[in-house]
Amino acid sequence: MTSAHPSFASIAETHLDDVYRYLLYMTANPSTAEDLTSETFERALSRWDRFDAKRGTAQTWLCQLARSTALDHFRAEERRRRREERVAEPDRGAEIELPDEYGPVLRQALRTLSAADREVIALRIVLEQDAQTAARVLGISPSACTTRLNRALERLEKKVRPRLVA
Amino acid sequence: MSPDLATTLRSETPAAPNELRERVALVAAAPPPPPRRIFSLRRVAMVGGSAVAAASLAIAVGVGLKTAAVSDPNVQSFSAEQLPRQPRAATTVQEGEANAVGPLLDANLQRSAAAPAPTPGRAQDYTAALTVLVDGTEDLSATTQRALRATRRLGGYVVTVRYGAPEPTEGSATLRLNIPVSRVQAAIVQFSGLGRILAQETQITDLQQSLDEITRQIRRLERSGGSKEQIAALRRKRAEINRRAAFATVNLDLTTHEPEQKATPPSRFDRAVDDATGVLAAELAIGAYALIVAAPILLLLGLAFAGSRAYRRYSDQRLLERA
Repeated sequence: MTSAHPSFASIAETHLDDVYRYLLYMTANPSTAEDLTSETFERALSRWDRFDAKRGTAQTWLCQLARSTALDHFRAEERRRRREERVAEPDRGAEIELPDEYGPVLRQALRTLSAADREVIALRIVLEQDAQTAARVLGISPSACTTRLNRALERLEKKVRPRLVA
Repeated sequence: MSPDLATTLRSETPAAPNELRERVALVAAAPPPPPRRIFSLRRVAMVGGSAVAAASLAIAVGVGLKTAAVSDPNVQSFSAEQLPRQPRAATTVQEGEANAVGPLLDANLQRSAAAPAPTPGRAQDYTAALTVLVDGTEDLSATTQRALRATRRLGGYVVTVRYGAPEPTEGSATLRLNIPVSRVQAAIVQFSGLGRILAQETQITDLQQSLDEITRQIRRLERSGGSKEQIAALRRKRAEINRRAAFATVNLDLTTHEPEQKATPPSRFDRAVDDATGVLAAELAIGAYALIVAAPILLLLGLAFAGSRAYRRYSDQRLLERA
C-alpha cells in the first residue's frame, strides 16, 4: 500500500485508542465500549473500499462509524428497556462499576453527563479534534459544536471544580 | 474552560485494553470482503448520464448524415432537365390563342432565349416586358437614349418615358414603347443588348377571332340593310383592333439596382451539421420539458429526504441526551 492509502491494519492500530476512548465516553461502560470498538472495526473492514482519504481523515471516518455503531446500540437498548417495562418493574440499572484506575474527574464525567455531552468532550478534548472535524462527525455546524462543548464543560466543571481546586 | 480540566480528562482517559487490541488485530488481519455495491448510485448516475449523452449525440449525427445524403430539392429544380418546365414555357389562353413567357431568372439562359414571333397574317395583341441591368447612372442615361433611337429607327414611337436617379449611383428608367409588330423581335434583340437581362416576359393575345366576328357582323348588317350608324360603329371597332394589332407594346425597364444574389444552397456538410444541431436542440428541449415536469416530484423527494435526515438527527440527539 502507498502512503496515500495505508493498509487497514495500520489504520486500525493507529486509531484504536481514539475509537475506544470515544466509545468509552459515549457509553460510559468499558466493556460495552470494547464490544462496540470491535464492532466498529468490523464495519470499517467491510466498508474499507469506500474510504476516501481525500474526503476526510481515517480518524474522522472511524469516529463516524463508531458513532453510528453506538447509536444502533442505544436504540437496541432502548427497545429492550421498553419491552422489559411492559412486563416488569423497570430496571434503572445499577451504577456501572468503573475500574479503579479511572480518575475521579473521568468518573464524574461518565456518571453525571449525558451521552451527547460526553461525546462532544471526547471528540474536542480527549481526541483534540478541531471544531470543524468534530462537527462533521456529529453532523452539526462547527458553531453548534462549540456551543455544545461549552455547555457540556460548564456542567462538568460545576461537578468537579472542588476536586480540581483541592 | 479550565485548562486543568482538559488536561485531567486527557490524562485520566485510559487507552484500549490489550484484550481489545488483540480482538481488533484479528479483525484487521482478515481479508477485506469484496465490494458489495458494484453499482453505486454515483457510478450509475455517471454511466447512465454518459450513455444518454452519447446516444443523443449518435442520434443527432445519424439523422444529420442521413438527411444530408438526400439531395436538396431546390438544387434539382434549377437543373437543366427541369428548366423546360419553368413558367417561361407555360402557355396561357386569353381570348383565343395566347402565349405567355414568364420571368427568367438565369441571365445566361435569358440571353439565349428568343422572344416568340408574332404569327404572320393574324391580328395579335403583342406585349413584351424587359428589365435590363445597366452599369451606373451615366450608363443609364446613354442606354435610355440608345433605346429611344432604336425605337424610332424601327418605326416605332415612345408612349411614355419615366427617368429617375434619386441617388448618384442608383437610378432607373421606365419606357413604354410601341413597335411595329413585324419588327418587334428585332427590337427585343436590340434591347437585350443594352445590358444584362434581369427579367423578360412576352404575352401574345389573339385578336383575329374578334376581328373576324366583327367583319361577319358588318356583312350581315350590310346584307340585311342594317342601320348605317351600327355599321359605322362596328367598322370603328374593327379599325381600332387593327391599330392595336399593328403595334406591339414593349415595356422596357432599365435599372442600376442589381437584384440580391440568391443564397447559395448549403453544402452537404453544412446541412448535416444543421440537421444534427436541430436534433440536438430537440433532444435538449425534450430533456428540459421532462425536467420541468419532474421538477415538482424531485423537489418533494428532496424535501422528504432532507426532512427525514433532520428528524433522524433530532431523534439521535434526543437518544444521546437520554443515555
